[in-house]
Amino acid sequence: MADTDLKTPLYQVHKAHGAKMVPFGGWLMPVSYSSVLQEHQTVRTACGLFDVSHMGELQVKGPAATTFLQRVSVNDVTRLGDGEGQYTAILHPDGGMIDDLIIYRIQADHYFVCVNASNTDKDYQWLLQQASAMAGVKVTNESTQWCQLAVQGPKSTLAVEALLSPVTKAQLSGLNYMQIMPVKLFGVDGLIARTGYTGEHGYELYVPNAIAERTWHGLMETHSQTGIQPIGLGARDTLRLEACYLLYGNDMNDGVSPLEAGISWAVRLEKGDFVGREALVAQKAAGLNRSQFALRMNEDGIPRHGMEVFKDGDLVGVINSGSVLPTLGGAGGLALLNPKKVAVGDVVEVDVRGKRKLARLVPKPLYKAKVKS
Amino acid sequence: MEFPNGLKYTKDHEWIDTAAAPVTIGVTAYAVDQLGDIVHVELPKVGDSFEAGAAFGTIESTKTVSDLYMPVAGKVVEINKAAVANPQSLQDDPYKLGWLVKVEVKSKIDASTLLDAKAYQHFVAEA
Repeated sequence: MADTDLKTPLYQVHKAHGAKMVPFGGWLMPVSYSSVLQEHQTVRTACGLFDVSHMGELQVKGPAATTFLQRVSVNDVTRLGDGEGQYTAILHPDGGMIDDLIIYRIQADHYFVCVNASNTDKDYQWLLQQASAMAGVKVTNESTQWCQLAVQGPKSTLAVEALLSPVTKAQLSGLNYMQIMPVKLFGVDGLIARTGYTGEHGYELYVPNAIAERTWHGLMETHSQTGIQPIGLGARDTLRLEACYLLYGNDMNDGVSPLEAGISWAVRLEKGDFVGREALVAQKAAGLNRSQFALRMNEDGIPRHGMEVFKDGDLVGVINSGSVLPTLGGAGGLALLNPKKVAVGDVVEVDVRGKRKLARLVPKPLYKAKVKS
Repeated sequence: MEFPNGLKYTKDHEWIDTAAAPVTIGVTAYAVDQLGDIVHVELPKVGDSFEAGAAFGTIESTKTVSDLYMPVAGKVVEINKAAVANPQSLQDDPYKLGWLVKVEVKSKIDASTLLDAKAYQHFVAEA
C-alpha cells in the first residue's frame, strides 16, 4: 500500500465490516468483505451495496457546455434531455481512448460527468485544455467532494426507497434506465442515477462526503427486507465481466479505439466532427485488425489479462479480462482478437501459463443485463 | 487461524506432514485466507519429480494466480483429485481434505528450511 493512497469517507465502515482493503486507481478500496463468490451471488439474487467513491465526478457548466461535450465525446450529447445520461468515451486525436465515462445532462447548461478513478486527473487536465480554446464552458473536478454508492440487484429499489420521502419515492419509480434525478438525502442535495456496473437493476447514488456514512447505514438497515450486503471490488469485477462491461486499463487504454474496444454502438460518427473522429473513420474504412470478443473456456484453466490466444497455431490476440464466471459457471473473459482471423463460434486456444486450453468465442454479452426490468 | 503443531511450514506458505512416508503437502490456512475464494487448483502428474523450492502447480482465486512450491525434493506419488474437483475444500479444511500431493522424498529432508507451527505463526504475524 502506498502512503499516497486516498481513503474514502467510508474507510472505517469497511474496516468495521471486516473488508480486505487493496490499492486501486490511487485509492484504498475494499476488495472483499467475506467471499467474492458469495458477494457476486448476493447482487444477482438480492441486493449489494458498493462504495465506489474512487470514481471521479466532473461538472461541465456554461452556455457552451453542450457544444463542448459534443466536440470532445463520441456519443451524441444532443440526444440527451434533462435528467438523462449516456455512456460515451473521450478520445485522443489518433482515436485512442482517454477514458470511458457517463455524461448526465442536469440541464442544458449543466452536465454531470462520472469518470474512472485512475483516469480522473488525466480526463480533467484534457478537458481543461480542450475547454481553454472555447468560450462559455467551465470544467471543475469535484471528485473528492462526492461519495458514490452503488446499490445493485433485484431488491435495490426497496433499499433506496428507505432513504426517500413519499414524494421522491414516487419520482424514483418513474426513473428509467440511464436517467438521473436530484434528491434530498438527510436534508442535503445529492443525485440518484439508475445505472450500474453489474448487469442487474440498480442505482448509483452521488452524495456529499458529509452524509456518506448516514446513507450507507440507512441502506444497510434494509437488510431484513432486501438481504443487502456490502460488496467489494472483487465481485464488482466478476459481475461486470459477465455483463461484458469494459474495464479501462484492462479491456482498453490510450492505444485502443472505441471501435476496437467493442463500443461502436456509443460512437456517433454521423453527428459531426469530434476529437478522434477522423481516425475512427479511417480505421473503419481500412477494416479493424483488433476487435473485442467474449469467450468461454471449454477446458479447465482460467483466462487472465495478457494471456495469448491462438487459432490453428497462429497468434490472433490477447486476453484482456478473464475470471471464473460465477453465475454462468466455468471461466471466460474478454479478448482483443483479429476479426480477420477469427469469428464468433470459433474454437481458439488460450495459452494458460504454457498450456494451450480450448475456448469458444461466444456472442456478447456473456450475461444478459437486467437493467431495464 | 489454525497452524497444527505436528506439521512443518515454509515461508512460501506450504505445510508438510513428515510424520509418515510418503510426506503430504498442502497450503496453509494463512495462504488460503490471503487468496480468498479458491476457484482452481492445478497439480502435477503422478511420477513427476521436483527439486526443493521448485514450482509444482498453481492455485487460483477469483482474482490471482499463485505458484505452489515444493518444500522438499522428491517424486509425486499421489495427487488429491478431490481437491482439484472441488477447490473449495482447501478453504474448508486446508490441512485434511485440502491436502494437495504426496511425495516420496529423494534425500534426507533439510529441516533448517522448514518452520515449526510456532515459528510460522510468528512469521505470518510479521507479514
